[in-house]
Amino acid sequence: MRTALDRLYAASGALGAAFIVAICLIVLAQVGCNAIDAVIQLFGGEAIGLVIPSYAEFAGFFLAAASFLALAYTLRAGAHIRVLLVLQRLPAGVQRAAELWCVSAALSVSAYFTWYAWKLVAESFAYNDMSPGIVPVALWIPQAAMALGLSVLAIALLDELLSLLRGRPARYAQSEAASGGHGE
Amino acid sequence: MSTALLTIVLLVAMFALLGSGLWVAFALLGVGMLGMGVATQAPLGQVLATTSWGASNSWALAALPLFIWMGEILFRSRLSEDLFAGLSPWMNRLPGKLLHVNILGCGIFAAVSGSSAATAATIGKMSMPELLRRGYDRRLAIGTLAGSGTLGLLIPPSIILIVYGVATEESIARLFIAGIVPGIMLVVLFMGYVVVWALLSPGKQPRDEGVVRWGERIRGLKRLAPVVLLITGVIASIYLGIASPTDAAAVGVLLALVLSWFSGTLSKANLVDSLMGATRTSCMIAFILAGAAFLTVAMGFTGIPRHLAEWIVTLQLSPTMLIVALTFFFVLLGCFLDGISVVVLTTSVILPMVEAAGIDRIWFGIYIVIVVEMAQITPPVGFNLFVLQGMTGDNILTVARAALPFFFVLVIAVVLIMIFPQLATWLPTKMSS
Repeated sequence: MRTALDRLYAASGALGAAFIVAICLIVLAQVGCNAIDAVIQLFGGEAIGLVIPSYAEFAGFFLAAASFLALAYTLRAGAHIRVLLVLQRLPAGVQRAAELWCVSAALSVSAYFTWYAWKLVAESFAYNDMSPGIVPVALWIPQAAMALGLSVLAIALLDELLSLLRGRPARYAQSEAASGGHGE
Repeated sequence: MSTALLTIVLLVAMFALLGSGLWVAFALLGVGMLGMGVATQAPLGQVLATTSWGASNSWALAALPLFIWMGEILFRSRLSEDLFAGLSPWMNRLPGKLLHVNILGCGIFAAVSGSSAATAATIGKMSMPELLRRGYDRRLAIGTLAGSGTLGLLIPPSIILIVYGVATEESIARLFIAGIVPGIMLVVLFMGYVVVWALLSPGKQPRDEGVVRWGERIRGLKRLAPVVLLITGVIASIYLGIASPTDAAAVGVLLALVLSWFSGTLSKANLVDSLMGATRTSCMIAFILAGAAFLTVAMGFTGIPRHLAEWIVTLQLSPTMLIVALTFFFVLLGCFLDGISVVVLTTSVILPMVEAAGIDRIWFGIYIVIVVEMAQITPPVGFNLFVLQGMTGDNILTVARAALPFFFVLVIAVVLIMIFPQLATWLPTKMSS
């Protein structure tokens, strides 16, 4: 179970990273097309107007997928920003209680969010909502990436809550300590 | 519940949630839910899902992970060595000498990184030991690093300006261009301070290290050229309207990979590390932005920003008075919040008030970034201070004292852009659209 969960977070994070690569590739492909057109015009030819259809829209969808799919992985890496100023000054017992509160509150919010994200997917599917671009995409597909990422986050938070309740330290806190707090 | 009471309740809730250690994105979502749940009958969950979706799938925001990735790649290349070796031979005639390498090195690295703590860390790991070995004043060596590390926030491509642009639906390209002149101005002000200090305290200067030959300077230039060309290429293509920030960012990633390939630092491990680092940072920021988008909509339902705006109008404050008041407020807020959180909180609640006072949105973006820079070097929470504390082993108050003159230089910069708003607003009007 432990390994399966750890793999889930890692896989979800890797998928998020793959979508960032995808953004880069699709944008570079369009920039390449523009460059070819520019070269043709330079030699007196007529621009063929090469475009990757709906590339801006796809880049947006990839971004949403990257951001939401990486949520749980980012949580485990201790990279979500929070204010530690007060927390670090509390005695150990109170600090544990505060961590329990943080994880429970975050779990409640993300469970609620996840539920409505899936409802949004179901609605888009039921009404057959399409994106408005040249290449119409059924909106439930990119929206499902958001809902999926939120689901994995909720699972990761539940995982943290259970391990806190068993008296173990939070995993994200270990990474926070290792990286010396925040990245930014 | 009256709007005034609701405002106070939400403000207290926001500080309580943030202070308790709840992640910033969740605190924003939580306060949004509370406000909307209390003030309206609108379908909370549905609004939450649709606004977050709308805020997250954005072409403009796609520049964010790409610019972060570009910085992560260059951060793992030999950039800090190149900057130090390239800049040093040019600075030996200027009073203050190699201290200027800190400032200019940070200025250049800032452009590729966009994160002020990473800027101070990267430049510092190379220059700090060198400066101390050669007998430079310890306090000023720390101060210049802490101060000019903050340049990362302003000099384009700037991550925090992307956040501001997306949150306010303002053109990121225009914001980037608006940041150029104030960014250069800050570099000049920082260097000016060092020159004045060096002239006033001759006793604290390191021994003379002899003449530098021109050949050495030219060789230095060669090491600087690739990264300087990369940055000017990115900024110029945006300014000339050839590329949107997202296009420029993708090309920037490609060129950073090429540079890192040629310098022999592009290993598989570096590539994966840089990508995963970018994934984490961009996920963290995108989640905060999703939370902020929901908070903005929720606040719209409660009517608080509109009431605040009307209230400010009845006060008959001059824009100058308002900015002075806001500066104190932001520096205070920045004492315990990071810059991105300060910016998104502002755009959710305060922006309508700022607009009601007749303040330009682009100008306000540049202004708030400079104020956030000030917050980066004020204790107890100043990320640059943490970095230098870790690097030098000095305690945070010593580091903060060393950074204090640069805090005041930033105050001067704010005063200057208040007196001459054209510093920020002129260049964007010259852009081809």
